[in-house]
Amino acid sequence: MSAPPWRSGSTNGNNRNGAFHSVNSRKTLSSRPIHHEGTQTLTQTSASEQTPKTQFPDKLKDYVARTFEDCPPEEKVAVELELKRIITDAFNEKVVWSLEWDKMPLPQAILARKKVTAKEEQTAKTLSMGQMSRVSNETGSSPSSPFIRKPNYSNAMDVDHPGKKRKSTGSSEELTPPAPDRFEERFDKRSRQGDKFLPTSGKLSQREKDKRAKRFEDERREYLPGSATPEAPDNKKPLIGRCMDLEKRYFRLTSAPNPDHVRPLHVLERTLEMLKRKWRSEANYSYICDQFKSLRQDLTVQHIKNDFVVTVYEIHARIALEKGDLGEYNQCQTQLHSLYREGFKGHEEEFKAYRILYLLHTCNRADMNELLANLTPADKEVKAIKHALEVRSVLAAGNFHRFFRLYLEAPAMGGYLMDSFVARERKAAMCMICKGYRPDIDIRFLTEELGFESDTDCVNFLCENEAADLIEQKTGDKGVPNSIRFQTAKALPLFERAKNAAFSKVDIKGQL
Amino acid sequence: MTTLYKSFRRALTTKDGALLGCIFSLENPDRGTYAFSTNHERIRGDVEYEISGLTHLRDENTRAAWVDTLVTYWKIAYILERDDVADVSWSKAYEGQKDLLLAMVRGYTKGNWPHWTLPVMYQICLSLRTVAISSDDQARSLGKAPEHLEDAARYINKAFTLCISDRAPIEESRKWGTYYIVNLMFKTYFKLNSVGLAKNILRVLPASLADMPPLEAFPKSHIVTFKYYCGVVSFLEEDYGNAETHLTYALNHCKADSIRNKEYPLPQYLPAITRLKHTRLILTYLIPTTMLTKHKLPTPELLSRFPRLAALFNPVCKTIKSGNLQAFDAALRHGEEEFVRRRIYLTLERTKDIAMRNLFRKVVLYQNEENRTKIPVRQFQIAMGCAGRGEELGAGGYWGGNDGNDDGEHGEVEVDGDTVMRSTPERVEVEVEEVECLLANMIYKGLMKGYISRERQTVVLSGKEPFPGTVV
Repeated sequence: MSAPPWRSGSTNGNNRNGAFHSVNSRKTLSSRPIHHEGTQTLTQTSASEQTPKTQFPDKLKDYVARTFEDCPPEEKVAVELELKRIITDAFNEKVVWSLEWDKMPLPQAILARKKVTAKEEQTAKTLSMGQMSRVSNETGSSPSSPFIRKPNYSNAMDVDHPGKKRKSTGSSEELTPPAPDRFEERFDKRSRQGDKFLPTSGKLSQREKDKRAKRFEDERREYLPGSATPEAPDNKKPLIGRCMDLEKRYFRLTSAPNPDHVRPLHVLERTLEMLKRKWRSEANYSYICDQFKSLRQDLTVQHIKNDFVVTVYEIHARIALEKGDLGEYNQCQTQLHSLYREGFKGHEEEFKAYRILYLLHTCNRADMNELLANLTPADKEVKAIKHALEVRSVLAAGNFHRFFRLYLEAPAMGGYLMDSFVARERKAAMCMICKGYRPDIDIRFLTEELGFESDTDCVNFLCENEAADLIEQKTGDKGVPNSIRFQTAKALPLFERAKNAAFSKVDIKGQL
Repeated sequence: MTTLYKSFRRALTTKDGALLGCIFSLENPDRGTYAFSTNHERIRGDVEYEISGLTHLRDENTRAAWVDTLVTYWKIAYILERDDVADVSWSKAYEGQKDLLLAMVRGYTKGNWPHWTLPVMYQICLSLRTVAISSDDQARSLGKAPEHLEDAARYINKAFTLCISDRAPIEESRKWGTYYIVNLMFKTYFKLNSVGLAKNILRVLPASLADMPPLEAFPKSHIVTFKYYCGVVSFLEEDYGNAETHLTYALNHCKADSIRNKEYPLPQYLPAITRLKHTRLILTYLIPTTMLTKHKLPTPELLSRFPRLAALFNPVCKTIKSGNLQAFDAALRHGEEEFVRRRIYLTLERTKDIAMRNLFRKVVLYQNEENRTKIPVRQFQIAMGCAGRGEELGAGGYWGGNDGNDDGEHGEVEVDGDTVMRSTPERVEVEVEEVECLLANMIYKGLMKGYISRERQTVVLSGKEPFPGTVV
């Protein structure tokens, strides 16, 4: 049998329907013979186009009547609000004529469902962010779309504008009423569709799926006894967005993602190109970071895992490094770590080197040991990793002389990472210098040994550490100033204090 | 009647905890007959019949819990014995073990099992872990993700709670099982490479220590292991002071004479070979720790008893003694893989300070008596670049005499480190700034007393004990 029109080939068509998954499946439950649907929708929709908004379908009137028929007085206000919302939404979305109001759950039922969703989110809160978005994804319909008939509406859109949007193939096939057994077809179409999507979005192993399914089975049984969905909604399919905008502000999700606001992969790919261009031309970090976060979020909620995702995280990580945003960098690094482990390709060596430097920053010895244990001989030949390992080893030896040399010759973005602990190590080095050299020391020597760019920088550093008084100018035989000296002995306690303070606080969110 | 029931009856009537525990061990030789003695249909009836009439089981809850436990155990036996060895589904066996553990937990919570049955808890937790490892191995070979050991850790945690939360008077409290279970958890976490979780236990434990008997009252086998893990956790956290305390305690109590303890509840007649292994494990961490904290190298007598430790530490120790920095680096590189695997690399790396101290000390000793307080930096620079081959460094060559170079150390180690030496480069030029930097390091760390005068390019050393603790 030929594929239903909204499924035929093009990715966008798939996206749209996939996005409505939970809603869809519920529809298949309706006892009504489904093969009428397509035709009906078609006619009804065209009718709705002509009908003035102010008219109400009879069935809607019945629906309102039914709503208030068995409404307990204490809930009346809430129900009324909900009803209002439903009808307004229906009008706004021009489905008021196509909806089967007699099949529509009453506002009371929708409110009850919302409560359940809220409850589930409560439980999900304890889970990590990533899991959380998956959870909300699972719980089925997004609270803002109570229309169980929504798929029809989207079909209608397709039919109304064949070929207008790139996604529909726009053949005459679209207008053909679906065959009688179409809902079954549609059902397993979807599961096949899912398989097709595996390489891009379905990198979820069967095991994970089972686990999740089990987890939610329990919850569903508990919260929805004999509800309107005796058949479990098709919750294993990842959501696929339908948003075509390149830009989107980041918003931390508090509910199930709405496919209308999620961009599908092919849009995201263009988004990345645009962001790269913008970063080069404008370099507005707060804008770029925000955009990358929403990009990452869209990838996460759609369960997309592939080399493109690696690229996104790598670029964001590099930009974050450049701006010294270690929190954001670490989130990217954590993701990259697991993506590489799952075999996705990117610049693994480069990021391994960063990770070594990062672990030096956080003084995480246990993980460093772990990382060393997992380095291959080939890794150790990579320039960046070699550099990072050497940094580690000279730091362990307290060899600040070599350390600051390595700082100045760090490959790629390594220097930015080292920036994060150079200040700290300078203080440590100052302690050793103050203890080791007597009675004083040339500022120029400090500049060179501590990797400052100029004597001024060095003096500034000393002043910042309240050691300004200990800098003095020495004059030669004829009263000509020949060097600026720093009195080491007195400075030791100052730098001891500074060093201890600097080493005591290393705190990064999302610590890997 | 199969032997298993006989043992069970005897253990219950004589209150023989150890015997009772052995029944649930994976090594129980009676398991085969037990598995073949009946079928799924009749096992419960059989068990009920076989264990009827025991005084200990007069309480209905106690009896029911034992029946459940034995039935669950039979199911595992069935999986393990009646399938072909190659076909055993370890994941199924694992599920069985989990049920067994839960039956055991019910036994203690609802069935009022007395504290002398603790060995049952030990064995069940132990075999849960063993089966989980087998299951994970199998999963790996099938390309699946191993996750049972992690799961097992959570279940063993239930046993931990059982022990620690028992409010019975101490004489008959399950608290006596605490350390055994904690050790098992440590062992599991280490296997899982999550030292963080191990730290969590150490955070939880002190809260309940108040109403626990003193450490010494527990069986030594429990305590030695416990102290060993505490030591290793401290070691990995770079808390070398505590690591030393814990590991030393473990070592002292692991000695031959103290091992023959027949204390309650599990008589542990450790075979000499196991004892040796335990000592070796303790020493693997204690040796690097002491090298750092006390600047002490292991004596040849000690290492001679542990060939593997000798192979591990000798090359490094030798270079530390001679102060040959190039050879030290080579030795460290040479053993890197093994050191990293044992998590002692980062610690050993830091012993380079001692090697350097020894080298600088030699430089000082080489000077004439009257010049020993003012030494040109250049002298140290030459020394650092020197890559003489171990023995040559001391005998003749650049350094002239063999003057007192070893007296500060405790015992000499002369096991062959030649393979390492030969691969070292001839000479390395070290920049004068780097030499100064390392001298400053030594001074800062208190390994040397004195200061550097940059204008004169000299190190001015303290007249008294310039190298504290080394008789110089």
